[in-house]
Amino acid sequence: MSDVSKPAKRPMSPRRKRYFSALVLAGVFGGILGGWMQAAQRGGPASDLAILSNAPLPANFAIGASIIWVVGMAISLFIYHRAVDDHEERAYLWAGTAGWYTISLAAPTWWVLARAGLAPPADSMLIFVGGLVVNLVVWLWLKYR
Amino acid sequence: MENRLKVLRAMRNWSQAELADRLDVSRQAVNAIETGKYDPSLPLAFKLARLFEMKIEEIFDDGFEGGDQ
Repeated sequence: MSDVSKPAKRPMSPRRKRYFSALVLAGVFGGILGGWMQAAQRGGPASDLAILSNAPLPANFAIGASIIWVVGMAISLFIYHRAVDDHEERAYLWAGTAGWYTISLAAPTWWVLARAGLAPPADSMLIFVGGLVVNLVVWLWLKYR
Repeated sequence: MENRLKVLRAMRNWSQAELADRLDVSRQAVNAIETGKYDPSLPLAFKLARLFEMKIEEIFDDGFEGGDQ
């Protein structure tokens, strides 16, 4: 006998299935890349956070990671953009704009300051991560506020 | 922009999730429209109007009182 006090769980629409597939896929690709990078970094997994390090990496990792990043991102983004609704698309566009502005403000500023000897050399990954964090915060705010 | 979405949904006894399923959007999208934090695109507004069998302007109010432009 079924429990009538609980509403039946609604089946996922094809759009939602595509949406969660894209998220899971991006998570899997990101997890593989991050774990592999941390392990491949010379000095072993116990050293600094690999994504913010400029330490040398083995060539086989660099080639493999490049392929996974480009192919994985392309597939995930293709599925994601076929699955997002109006509301999330707007959040995505504004978040992307905010992330791009962060990079546009930070990169040239840091670069000229570094050339004048007023700052250490510009770190492209740090700027990228900064843009990504701003992107994520704006996206979460617009989607879930 | 103000709208009557919450009232219309309540009259049909639908949850936000149910309405979202019928429109094929996320529950967050329905919530954002209801609370006036997000104005839907024209295709989504038409979809809403068809679902509730009303005109778009019977659901959404842009505050325009009429008269000469």
